Amino acid sequence: MSTSNPAPASRWIHVGVTLLRAVVAPRKLAYTLLVLLGVVMVTFFIRPPGDPARVLLGQRADSTSVAALRQKLGLDQPVPIQMLRYVQNLGRGDLGRSIATDRPVLDTILERLPATALLAVSSMILATLFGVLLGVIAAWKANSWIDTVTMSTSLFGISLPAFVVGLLMVLVFGVALEWFPNSGYIDRGLPYLVLPMITLAIRPLSIIARMTRSSMLDVLGQDYIRTARAKGLSYVAVFMKHALRNALNPVVTTVSAWFAGLLAGTYFIEYIFNWPGIGLAAFNAIEKLDYPMIQGTVLLTAVVFVATNTVADALYAVLDPKVRIQS
Amino acid sequence: MSTRRETPTQLAWKRLRKNTGAMVGIVILLLMVLGAVAAPLITPFSPTTQILEYAVQPAGFRGSVLYRTNPSNPGAPSVIAVQDFAVRGDSVYYTDPAGEPYRLALTSLAGRDSTEWHARPLFLLGTDRFGRDMFTRLVYGMRVSLTVGLISQGIALLIGIVLGSIAGYFRGWIDDVVMWLVNVVWSFPTLLLVVAFSVILGKGYWQTFVAIGISSWVDIARIVRGQFFAIREQEYIEATRALGYGSLRTMFRHMLPNAAGPVVVLATAGFATAIIAESSLSFIGLGVQPPDPSWGQMIKDGYGYIALGTNWGMTLFPSAAMATAVIALNLFGDGLRDALDPKTSQR
Repeated sequence: MSTSNPAPASRWIHVGVTLLRAVVAPRKLAYTLLVLLGVVMVTFFIRPPGDPARVLLGQRADSTSVAALRQKLGLDQPVPIQMLRYVQNLGRGDLGRSIATDRPVLDTILERLPATALLAVSSMILATLFGVLLGVIAAWKANSWIDTVTMSTSLFGISLPAFVVGLLMVLVFGVALEWFPNSGYIDRGLPYLVLPMITLAIRPLSIIARMTRSSMLDVLGQDYIRTARAKGLSYVAVFMKHALRNALNPVVTTVSAWFAGLLAGTYFIEYIFNWPGIGLAAFNAIEKLDYPMIQGTVLLTAVVFVATNTVADALYAVLDPKVRIQS
Repeated sequence: MSTRRETPTQLAWKRLRKNTGAMVGIVILLLMVLGAVAAPLITPFSPTTQILEYAVQPAGFRGSVLYRTNPSNPGAPSVIAVQDFAVRGDSVYYTDPAGEPYRLALTSLAGRDSTEWHARPLFLLGTDRFGRDMFTRLVYGMRVSLTVGLISQGIALLIGIVLGSIAGYFRGWIDDVVMWLVNVVWSFPTLLLVVAFSVILGKGYWQTFVAIGISSWVDIARIVRGQFFAIREQEYIEATRALGYGSLRTMFRHMLPNAAGPVVVLATAGFATAIIAESSLSFIGLGVQPPDPSWGQMIKDGYGYIALGTNWGMTLFPSAAMATAVIALNLFGDGLRDALDPKTSQR
């Protein structure tokens, strides 16, 4: 703990500046770019095995149309040339054209980004609020029945894959109770957001709750908490002011790291709830082996993943002086 | 400290045994392994046997069937759904569930008398839309899930340990290259990477193992590298150098065993992730292909009925099976982590 306690506003400005410095530090930035280059190389190879043109047109197609498609997709070039073209095009913001619709992949992605972002952000807010709340309650009443119930429920939340949680949601709240519609987009009304949002939130919520609990218990065992109690401060004051603030540091990192993970989760959720975001586009593309579309969505997710993780790392360093000094 | 000398493994086992959750996990896992191995003995049919007349039946359904010898596969007789039947001369006359009469030669039936070729088997969990026994497919699906977990983790361990060891031991540019690779793979959410590799490798059994395996080695590589970093400068490693041991011997005989604990814990967690990944893949139509049974595929098949509000079991049973497997693995993994590293047991 720092001895000086700067005013809240200046503290956050300080955090922001340090964060910015950490993210755009030249070495860090160069390395991130190098990693992104590797990511691009991986996405380049996302295509059906063998000859993609042949796979797309089927075994019966005549060799002229296969050759024509091969040329159109640039598959007649040697692989290194193809890769170079791919990187060049990416540099110009060109993610290629969808084979199924012949539209630029970027257009489809931009069109569908708001739906995915809405789902991801609302889930993350839900997961953070309830996750921290449940974690704090579990730590406050550690080893009581409420702790046991919260922790064992969260074990389920961690263990169940998103698509199973989604189906159970549909089954219980959509079909049996008929509380919420089980398929469709928010443009038909707010209730359409409820089930996909909760489904997507379950896993991060469980993880955040467990994380908050264990972090709280860690902090509560520290000497300075005992000191604060010995000074005569009330348990509530110590819990809220001294423990919670420090305990939330690792939680902040988890939250930001999980936001990235959520984007992958949206794929399955969008598929189940027929939510017209990037994930649904990706799954439709997988069914048709529309690989430029798959490449585009995977690349976008990876880039967002890298960006949020970079911010999360930097945030951790800013919030935790111990990490800052080490690095 | 007791005066008796106990190996670290014995100590860990002692702690593990006191952990109720971990023990519950182990028992469930053992039962599952046993069930998967003994699948043909505990299931009434083969996982691909279709009895179309008995499609989409609820749990606990019993249906009358005749077994007919299958010349192409003597081990798995074909199954005929019947309403009732009578033996006259050398033939058996039967009516199918729709009431249509048929005749079959007695010699074509599998068995000597009606106690052998006729039965009213219990469809414990009902049937799917092809009239395949859900319980049978669930058990065989468990085989697939456990195999996927085992093989994909084997691949992940192999890549992770080798890359992690050489990065941690040699450091320098080798470490830089390995860490770059780790960071590249790290840049994709695991499930998405598995999907991507499945598109690259194509659909199928082996492709799924490999796709999951090559997506899940990074955690293992990082842990091994970290452990190697920590112990490389210790005296006993220096001693191996003084004794003139080769790098390989030092790495795998003297350094790796020290990293074994966290690696085992990670592999257990990875096993659970692999089960989830496999069923997610089959759920979206990649991965294990029909008619091979897989939990993800069964859930997808049942999903169509959920919207209709009928036959929930078709979704619930495979979901519950998967949840049980994953929770058992997580309980076991948590217990293992606490047992192997008592310092973190507060968490």
